[in-house]
Amino acid sequence: MVENSPSPLPERAIYGFVLFLGSQFGFFLYCLWAFIPEDWLHSIGLTYWPQKYWALAVPIYLLVALTISLLLLLGVNFSNTAPLHSVDNITGRNMCQPVNEVEKILPKVDQKNEQKVFLSQSLVLKGLICQKAAIRTI
Amino acid sequence: MEDETFTDISGKSICLDCQSHSSFCREFTVSSPKVSIGKVMVYTCSVWLLAYAVFFLTQNTAVLSSAILITLVGMMFHIHFVKVDHETLLVIGSLGIQVSSSYASGREITTFIEMSKIKDIVINEAIYMHQIIYYLCVLLKDPSEPSAVSSVVPLFQSSKPRLNCLVKVYKSCQEILSKSQ
Repeated sequence: MVENSPSPLPERAIYGFVLFLGSQFGFFLYCLWAFIPEDWLHSIGLTYWPQKYWALAVPIYLLVALTISLLLLLGVNFSNTAPLHSVDNITGRNMCQPVNEVEKILPKVDQKNEQKVFLSQSLVLKGLICQKAAIRTI
Repeated sequence: MEDETFTDISGKSICLDCQSHSSFCREFTVSSPKVSIGKVMVYTCSVWLLAYAVFFLTQNTAVLSSAILITLVGMMFHIHFVKVDHETLLVIGSLGIQVSSSYASGREITTFIEMSKIKDIVINEAIYMHQIIYYLCVLLKDPSEPSAVSSVVPLFQSSKPRLNCLVKVYKSCQEILSKSQ
């Protein structure tokens, strides 16, 4: 299995540089469109472009949406947290089915098919061992 | 009846009173501080000043009478439904547990949980808003399935005491519960 690590790699450097150049170029084009008067754009032949109103409106919309989504994420986190009276807060091995019942259901380990059986064992354990604690999405 | 300085999770001081009625019956009372007269006066004055300012601008006398009405109704609502004066936990071995909370207006809400439904009383740690708090809770079990927790009843919810208070109540409760289960 390839390990995922955040260390710098040559491919990542290239992606980053391409993104950097692309975004700088895109910003330059956006500034050109926003500042050049409509008559000059029409005289060149570019007639079917959006109104200049959107040159201001889109960035403002994006920033307001970003701020609201930050607050919304906080609110969603708070409302998804289990309340104090819910059973999800109780985590512990003694709270669920006793261990000997789990052993009866686990299949016997076969020498040849050890890999497959190990996988199915872990899936069965995950199904039987009790529910998760309150998971916070961050 | 010792009186070490117990506080709740936000730092306000509370009072714990443990009474041992007999070897198998104990009662714990956690009392919150009373409604302070200063706070009441501050709220009332600010609401009335605001109402007077609005009246000064709009010259509508209904604003003044409605402000008085809102203050009165709000205070009555607060002391009857919101402000908890003290909460008690009464543990009777082999019979059950009684949890009661009484409000500042005298109203009392009581629940009784019989011993067959109680699995255990534990101090649990959970996420509450932006912090992690300890709270004492009763784990209930279904008599048909004695090894699983069917529901949780948190105790002392309005006056959330800190760990030192909870540990004292927990140890005392466990002495009785361990004998009766």
